[in-house]
Amino acid sequence: MAGSFEASDGLSSRERRALETLLTRLGDDEFVLAERYTEWQVRAPSLESDLALANNAQDELGHARLWYDVLADVGLDERALAYERDPADFRHGTLVELPFETGDWADAVLRSYLYDVAEDLRLEALTASSHPKIADRVGKIRSEEKYHREHARSWLERLAEDDDGRGRLQDALDRLFPHALTLFEPAVPPRLGAKASENDVAKAAAVDADVVDLGLRTATLEELRSEWLSIVVPFLESLDLAVAVDRDAENPEADLDALLPDARGRDGAHTEAWFDLHDELTRTYRELGRTETTTIMEAPDG
Amino acid sequence: MNLETVRARAGPRAFSPADDLPEEYREAATRMIEFHANSEIMGAYLERPFIRQAPSIDRKLAYSAKVQDEIGHGQLLYRAAESLGVKSREEMLEDLANGDGKFLNCFHYPMESWVETPMIAFFVDGAAMRRQATLRRTSWEPYAHAMDKVCFEEGFHVKHGEDILRELMTGSRKERRLTQEAFETWWPRIIQFFGPTDDRSTHHDFAVSVGLKQRSNDELRNAFLDQYIPKARNYGLEIPDEPRIREREDGTYEVEEGDLDWDEFFTVAKNEYEPGREQIRGRRTAQEAVQWVREAIERDGAAGSHAPRAAD
Repeated sequence: MAGSFEASDGLSSRERRALETLLTRLGDDEFVLAERYTEWQVRAPSLESDLALANNAQDELGHARLWYDVLADVGLDERALAYERDPADFRHGTLVELPFETGDWADAVLRSYLYDVAEDLRLEALTASSHPKIADRVGKIRSEEKYHREHARSWLERLAEDDDGRGRLQDALDRLFPHALTLFEPAVPPRLGAKASENDVAKAAAVDADVVDLGLRTATLEELRSEWLSIVVPFLESLDLAVAVDRDAENPEADLDALLPDARGRDGAHTEAWFDLHDELTRTYRELGRTETTTIMEAPDG
Repeated sequence: MNLETVRARAGPRAFSPADDLPEEYREAATRMIEFHANSEIMGAYLERPFIRQAPSIDRKLAYSAKVQDEIGHGQLLYRAAESLGVKSREEMLEDLANGDGKFLNCFHYPMESWVETPMIAFFVDGAAMRRQATLRRTSWEPYAHAMDKVCFEEGFHVKHGEDILRELMTGSRKERRLTQEAFETWWPRIIQFFGPTDDRSTHHDFAVSVGLKQRSNDELRNAFLDQYIPKARNYGLEIPDEPRIREREDGTYEVEEGDLDWDEFFTVAKNEYEPGREQIRGRRTAQEAVQWVREAIERDGAAGSHAPRAAD
């Protein structure tokens, strides 16, 4: 199967659906998280942390561009993907769409940690992707994510040394953990372009199986989740934080599934906050009646 | 060094932290640089909503980077101010939060729509560029040094602002109309950016005599008008009838200062203009909300260690 993505014009509908589903979940995660990170600009605890969070936001936005740009090959541009898509057709996990409560820096650094570990694992599973553009873009993204992870870990360690800080981290963890699990949920194929009929929850698992079967990603979501847990749980526990999973339980998978929130994002169900955010970020585009998006940077190579 | 010596030796980048400078100089320089640093922070505060409201990903990236640059300039300038030994960065940031810190008039006015963004990013930043370029020759070396980096980055901001203006003024009729309206609202404030005529400016003479300030308000404002009136017209903007602008025989411009609202200007300058107070309060609330982080870090044994850690 590998190699069939070398040319985009000969894709079967199965290949195209797998590609679109994978890239929207990747691009949407980055796009929406970046949007949330920018909320910390001019609001972070110090000028230094303000600069750092702004960096993260711009990195994630850059990654969103890289993933969305691969979809240009199948006729989907930024206008269609970011500015004119029905918000219900975004496929990011709910972890990235939740708003930050004012001043909740514990949420910012914990969310970044939970996300960046997951991000690193999924990028690893894309390094040998059968789609050459996807494989090529992984390297650049990974080098930046490494810095994000170190930044988040360092902040977590600092905050956890303080009683008040640790208490706030625990609150954030209790709230965010179920949403972090949505990162490993299969995505319902988004209704992009002309194919407006496909919004079938039952297809999600099958399409993700296609993603792996076609070699677009080389690990299953279950494998990624289990690897993620083996990293984040011991680390968080080492900071005296309690994680709501019992890895020695008889049926840990079922326990985890029970923790998942009602709206998972990947399934097209979102929290109210996402619709408000989408409304705000498309406001200028709509109010000025724009029909195209301005690019000022060159399209990424490869 | 006494004041006479300072005046005699005043020249570009003449003084550094190695010099023993009189209090008058150090206080005047602190006031000037602190004002500049505060303006960077409040400018960033004003523009931050447009990161989200930008109508494309590239514009969003550029806006996020711009706001980040302004915070970086603030950081750099507070350091240059701190090096005068009068006030610490914490004190300056605290004064800014509680409404004692002063900053540029334009950043007291709220911004509501994308069509207003080039009023700051092109005109105000362009005006700032003119002033900052002259400050590369200021007598306080750390300030001049900071200006090298600031001017370099501001150049990109102004280009981006100009590109947004060009896009709006070549866009739909609605976009052109809204942009013209925004221009009419902002134009008098932009002209007032340079402050009142020199003979009404409180600190002007001293700052010039010790080399802190290189050019007068009037010179800078006139140079700005000469450069930006043709630019504005070139993009299809109409210069409002008021304040009256006189074109001299040599093609340069002069504004009828009496047409500008100086009562409002001085109200703004004293942080007493209500919408500006709202901006100050908004930023203060955001700062108070993360006070717990600063306290948590101070408690966790890092007291006294200012060494940067990865978490910065």
